[in-house]
Formats: sequence, C-alpha cells, structure tokens
Amino acid sequence: MRKEEIKKVVRAGYAKIAKPDSSCCVPVNSCCGSTDLAQDIGKKIGYTEEELKVVPEGANLGLGCGNPVALASLRESETVLDLGSGAGFDCFLAANKVGKSGEVIGVDMTPEMVENARENAEKGNYRNVQFRLGEIENLPVADNSVDVVISNCVINLSPEKRRVFKEAFRVLKPGGRLMVSDVVLLKELPDFIKNSIEAYIGCLSGAIMRDEYIGAIKAAGFQEVRIIDEASFPIECMANDSTVKAVVEDLKIPPEKVKEIGSSVISIKVFGVKPCETS
Amino acid sequence: MKKELMDILACPMCKGDLELGIEEEDEKGEVVVGSLYCGKCDERYPIEEGIPNLLPPELRQSSE
Repeated sequence: MRKEEIKKVVRAGYAKIAKPDSSCCVPVNSCCGSTDLAQDIGKKIGYTEEELKVVPEGANLGLGCGNPVALASLRESETVLDLGSGAGFDCFLAANKVGKSGEVIGVDMTPEMVENARENAEKGNYRNVQFRLGEIENLPVADNSVDVVISNCVINLSPEKRRVFKEAFRVLKPGGRLMVSDVVLLKELPDFIKNSIEAYIGCLSGAIMRDEYIGAIKAAGFQEVRIIDEASFPIECMANDSTVKAVVEDLKIPPEKVKEIGSSVISIKVFGVKPCETS
Repeated sequence: MKKELMDILACPMCKGDLELGIEEEDEKGEVVVGSLYCGKCDERYPIEEGIPNLLPPELRQSSE
C-alpha cells in the first residue's frame, strides 16, 4: 500500500473511533477503543487513578499503549508538543504539570479527533492546551520551539517514521527531550497480518522492529537514546480488540499462533535528547 | 487559537513564518475564524472554530 493510502485509511479509521455514533457498521476498532474499557486499560498501562479522574470525561479513549507523561518529568512553564493527540488525554495531563505558564500543543491529522479534543478542553476549562490539525510528518511547528515532544502509541501508524523523528528533532529546542511510547516488534509479523489494513489501524501491522525504531530515533540526531520501560502489549487489549479478533477469525489463525504473534509485540517507552550543540 | 502561539506556528511545508488574518475573535482574544498565510508557498491555511487547519494542502483537500 502506498503511504498516501495508508494515511487516508488510518485517518478514516480514527475518525470513526472519534465519532462512534456517526456510523452504524464499523468493525474497525483500535487498541481497545471501547470507552467502557478505557479506564481499566488506562490503569493497566500505567496511569494513576488520580490522573484518570482529573481529565475531562471522553478525553481518554483507551487507545494508548503507555504513559509518556509520567516519564517526561515535565516542569513548570515548559512547552510540550503531543504528536497524534487524539481526544487530548495526554495533553490534559501534561497541561496540569506545566501549569499556567506552560503550553501544550496537540497535533492530530483527524479533524473529528481534534474537534473532540477541543470540546474536552472547553469542558475541563483548560487554557494552556491548544489543538491543531496537522500531520506529524509535516509538523506545522517552528524550529527549536518546544521543550518536550511526547507521543503515545501513534508513530507506529505513520508510514514515514524516520521523517516523524526528524520533525520532532527539528522542532525541539537544543536540550529538548523526546519521550514516546509505542508498539514495536521483537519478531517480524506474518505477511497476512502485515497486509491487513484493520491490523494496521489497530497499531499492529505498522509496527516495526524494536532496533529499527531505536535506530530511526538515533538517525534523526537524538542522543542518550534509551528504552526506559518495556512491557508486553496488554493481552487483554489485544483480546478485546475487535480488529485483532476479526483478523484472527477471518484468517482462521490457530490459538498457538495468536499467542506467538502476541509475544512478538511489545510496547516501549523511549527517551532521547536533542544535543545542545548540533553540528 | 491563541495569538501568542504564533511564534511557535510554522508552515507545514516550508516551515516559514505564517501571517495571521483574523475574521472573528472571542471575548478572551482568541482567534475563532481566520487564516494563516504562508507568503513563500502562497498557501492559505484556514482557522475554523478556533482550530488552525495546518494539514499539508493535498491532504486538506482530500478531507473535504
């Protein structure tokens, strides 16, 4: 599939998740998109109960795979950029940490998601969070302008991951930090999954090998790159994921094979710094 | 959209500065309707309901 097509289907898939009522026959559902499950999943992937409570209702869609905010050690008055901000959950958590003198900017390419996020910001009366429609491969952000770039389970969806990391590097101030969590692979996926568009939207087929992912971050110029945490991708998440279920049923994959595939997918939290002097 | 954030904004294509055009503001001084213009690319990015649409031109059109 061409990268333009991938972007199109990913956007359409997430538009449906953002506005579940707008369509009646959507089997596509990403990493546990059900809001009933969102709270439970939120806890499993590392958000505290407190964090889940303080953000506006509807901001947590349960689509992430980790909690970069807890790791980002955000400081008062910093400027934070969230790549693929969705309904705004991580942006609101970040906003609470950077305070009134700080700014959080969420970029997402799905208009329905950005609209949701803006409504959530209003609901929660957040004045230090702004959302804009944009592509993470073509960030509408000036060079050297943000302190921290965060992203939660989004970059796997991009067909141009190297470019995303280059863009993140460009917009960070010297000394700025990259803190992302994402889904990566320990073993290549079988072709029938790789070629499934549902599995792509479900954060599976777009995932690349862990070493390749880390390599792309380093190639963008980041230093001190390290994996802070590694976890198996919550299996409850996958089991409940209608996308994965549909793929499993459609292709009649035996349970052992499902388990094997499950064990080759992990979520990682990665840290990197833009050096103060770039040559 | 807050006007103070203009410093951070850039054209998604050439990363150059954008010129703000205001059509409607709210009581807090935030831009509700307007546009962001890139002189270098001669491209106008709309601001609707307070959200700047800074998707690259070809993607923006496909979403309409």
